[in-house]
Amino acid sequence: MRTTEDLLAALAEVVRNTFPDRDLPEPVELTTRAFADLGFASIDLVVLAERLDAHFGRRLPFGTFLKGLRDCGAEDLELGELVAFLQKHV
Amino acid sequence: MPEVEVNGTRLFYQQSGEGPDVVLVHAVTSNQAVWTFSGLPDALATDFRVTTYDMRGHGASARPATGYTSAGMAEDFRQLHTALGLKPALLVGHSFGGVVSMHAAALAPECVAGVLLSDSFFPGLKHVEPNFGKMSIWVDLRETFTRVGVELGDTVDFARLFRETAALPPEKMKQLEDIYGAFGRGWLRQLPRLAETTCGDEVLAEAGLTADVLASVAQPVVALYDEFSPFLATSRWLEQHLAKCVAEIIPAAKHFAMLDNTAGFTDAVTRHLKRLTQTTYPPGPPP
Repeated sequence: MRTTEDLLAALAEVVRNTFPDRDLPEPVELTTRAFADLGFASIDLVVLAERLDAHFGRRLPFGTFLKGLRDCGAEDLELGELVAFLQKHV
Repeated sequence: MPEVEVNGTRLFYQQSGEGPDVVLVHAVTSNQAVWTFSGLPDALATDFRVTTYDMRGHGASARPATGYTSAGMAEDFRQLHTALGLKPALLVGHSFGGVVSMHAAALAPECVAGVLLSDSFFPGLKHVEPNFGKMSIWVDLRETFTRVGVELGDTVDFARLFRETAALPPEKMKQLEDIYGAFGRGWLRQLPRLAETTCGDEVLAEAGLTADVLASVAQPVVALYDEFSPFLATSRWLEQHLAKCVAEIIPAAKHFAMLDNTAGFTDAVTRHLKRLTQTTYPPGPPP
């Protein structure tokens, strides 16, 4: 299993490469929030999901993950939650 | 990022699964994330090849100045269908996405095997629909904008919504962003960009999709209308006038069935798609 640190670094790299024109906080941390801190819109998560699929070379069940977030009434998405998702599936 | 250049614009799309082709078409001011967050593409991908895309001007697709009528967007779909090499597809269209889907069924029947409508209003059926422009979500929107001193009017007017949002001073935009929260902020921020296009005026145009053209659609149609929909007269008209139309009410939903009642909507869509697949693509070797 990949370490949390490795996956966070990989995630940060994919985010920067996917949105090169955005003014992203440095460094990103597990508590960094996708919407409030990175300024994401929901479509950005769809785009990021596609890039993470390509980066890790497999189709990740992002839809199920995002539906789960919505079902539990989440108001934002911390990168730590994304890292935990990646840890489970890559 | 998977993109396709069609009809003078660039569309962002996603594809998953294997099987008969299903294309999910979102509503105006929405994007394909509405499907992703509903979990519908993942649920369907076990039995179908599912394509979702952002219509022109929306989501991660390009934003040309013109071409936003249902006829224009049906042509976008036709060219996307060709570019991706899809088989005749079953379309699931939410709201204006359903209008685009029906227009595609009429203009490009070779691309459309059937249509599932989710709470669509048709400008060409304005004469049978007493609730034109009186959607509850517009009432909610109007009340929210009133809190920052913006009047949107009593009936749905996308051009006015886009124009008024574009004219908001930063402090009022910030107030609205705080009201809509993290998930709604992206939706809000796209509205001023759509003011630079003809989208607001064109999406409510009949654009050739008259009642007669709608009634001529020969492919099977499923009218999924929400329990609290203002458009139940439209649903009844479709059931009475189309050659192959069945209607079903999605309980506990008021225009966003895929989010208001995700389980009920997913069940209905899956059930009807499987039924239509058996009709359209019967088991056994191809003739």
